[in-house]
Amino acid sequence: MNLKESILVALETLRSHKLRSFLTLLGVIVSVCTLVAVVSLVQGMNQYVSDKIGHLGSNTFLLSQFSIEDHTDQERFMEARKRNKEIRLEDLQYLQEAASLPEQLAASMGHAPIEVKGGTRSLEDVNLAGVTANTLRVAAFEVGQGRYFTPTDEQHRSNVAFVGPDVTRELFPGTDPVGKSINVDGRDYTIVGVATALGNVFGQSQDNFVQVPLATFRKMYGTEGSLQINVLARSVTLLPVTEDEIRMLMRAHRHLHYNDKDTFGIISSDTVMQLWNNLTGAIAAVMVGVSAVFLVVGGIVIMNIMLAAVSERTREIGIRKALGARRKDVLWQFLIESAVISTVGGLLGILVAFIFTLVAGALTPIPFSMPITAVIVAVLVSTIVGLFFGIYPASKAAKLDPIVALRAEA
Amino acid sequence: MATSILDHSSPQAAPGAHSIIRTADLWKIYEMGDQQVAALRGVTVDIARNEYVAIMGPSGSGKSTLMNLIGCLDSPSRGQYWLNGQLVSAMDDDQLAHIRNHEIGFVFQTFNLLARASALHNVELPLIYAGVPPAERAARALEALQKVDLEPRKDHKPNELSGGQRQRVAIARALVNRPSIILADEPTGNLDSTTSNEIMGLLDRLWEQGNTIVLVTHEHDISEYAHRVIYIRDGKVDRDHLTARGERVLAAKPAATP
Repeated sequence: MNLKESILVALETLRSHKLRSFLTLLGVIVSVCTLVAVVSLVQGMNQYVSDKIGHLGSNTFLLSQFSIEDHTDQERFMEARKRNKEIRLEDLQYLQEAASLPEQLAASMGHAPIEVKGGTRSLEDVNLAGVTANTLRVAAFEVGQGRYFTPTDEQHRSNVAFVGPDVTRELFPGTDPVGKSINVDGRDYTIVGVATALGNVFGQSQDNFVQVPLATFRKMYGTEGSLQINVLARSVTLLPVTEDEIRMLMRAHRHLHYNDKDTFGIISSDTVMQLWNNLTGAIAAVMVGVSAVFLVVGGIVIMNIMLAAVSERTREIGIRKALGARRKDVLWQFLIESAVISTVGGLLGILVAFIFTLVAGALTPIPFSMPITAVIVAVLVSTIVGLFFGIYPASKAAKLDPIVALRAEA
Repeated sequence: MATSILDHSSPQAAPGAHSIIRTADLWKIYEMGDQQVAALRGVTVDIARNEYVAIMGPSGSGKSTLMNLIGCLDSPSRGQYWLNGQLVSAMDDDQLAHIRNHEIGFVFQTFNLLARASALHNVELPLIYAGVPPAERAARALEALQKVDLEPRKDHKPNELSGGQRQRVAIARALVNRPSIILADEPTGNLDSTTSNEIMGLLDRLWEQGNTIVLVTHEHDISEYAHRVIYIRDGKVDRDHLTARGERVLAAKPAATP
């Protein structure tokens, strides 16, 4: 029968019982809203993380004591601690000689967050690291003011520092920080350069650091502890073979048997993204499950309301049948009505989710985006739920005997 | 068996050739638990095109059952029923729906209009199920409303109309698909006598325009508007005769010509 007629009847029914319609639609609204909001959230977070991890550089990877997988649970970490050895300066020197594929091998060594003093002020929780002079080539930041380290700084173990913009802003507001002196752990360093600002990742400032030459760092804090080596491949396409070369060399250098596990970790932005995607994928799967439950509940509510509509409108069905409506006309009328009601719920759910992403996008740095596929899927799913849960009420309506239906109370 | 008052004297063709309604030994048996109740016990009637017939009978006579069968709302347990030359007694639900849509215009005691739809939309309803395109639908519905003088009220909902107006909307709806018969079931049952006369006058006019009218009523006054009365009693045709008006109409009619 007439599609437009059925849709109009359905919309009229919704309009004439606003509160009832809202309550009917609540299940579908909540479910679609959850679905779309979660997908938007995950999409936004993935975007955010890949943007930020992209800073690692698409053609760099990290050689460190532990791999990402080693951190996935306690047991694996305990095993890895027994197995893995620290990355030593001597490893770096070996790789510098033996590896042919990397463009740069930049090493760094981190320290726990520490207090930095400068002038009359001080700043807590600053990340301190010793780095090789070529670290600039693999770092996300660039030199904003002054200069980066030179091999000479390294050779002389100079007391020089390259700092993030947070540090200079806090310690030397309004003045040129280059050439100023800062004090870390009782030792004075001269600022030779300031990095460009990177901003925040998950609310953590990336600009709150002090770097000193690796040799200076080792003089001050000793040679214990693992290095991290940032490996820069010559190009993105050479990244996998560069990774392979470093792995092979490290295994050979450490005399590992062919079926021994690595005693070091290689972390690329790929593996980080993979881990992240696994995590958000799990969140998304749970939420999709939850919204599926809402959807079933919503569908049952719609079925209930459609059954009520069929018995309320028995007389109408009788009239339509007397005037020539066939079973399938009546069936489709109620199916379409049920689908329209459910679709309206879906659209409202998308609207609520859209408002949610706007608000969340304004309040957090995460770039929420509502994928058009999620919107289409949400609308389709809500329509299908309406159709499915409309089948029983609609077939009940279609089977009504016109004589009986015409006698029903109006 | 009664002869039709408008029987043409042309050579007899297939059964029902001149009849718009022809039933042969119609039975309707209801199962009430393990009991069988026969509401109709062999009804044979013949109604010609452009007749104006009243079906009368006390309640429980089978009058309503007969009306449901004639209206193709139900199927007989036994016997045949031809409507406009089609054997409807053998049809399934959807075929009956099609016949109701094309051949029958219902007028009910309780009007049976869709409460939330405008007069125009109510009249359009049979055309929707006939698959008439929207533009033509509106034009034909408007034309039908003109015939019952309700065109100015086309946008009114039933609750904004008087009882008589509602029944006129229902009559317009009955006419709109140009049916073979207009089946009016106690059309004045919910109306005062003035309005009743109006409605009966309207049915008269429709008859004059060539429509076949079957009126189901238990009111003697109302049945007098018809030209022929079929009395049903105990599920059978009890009497079938012309009314005073029917005699006059027959007398006024020029002798049948081939």
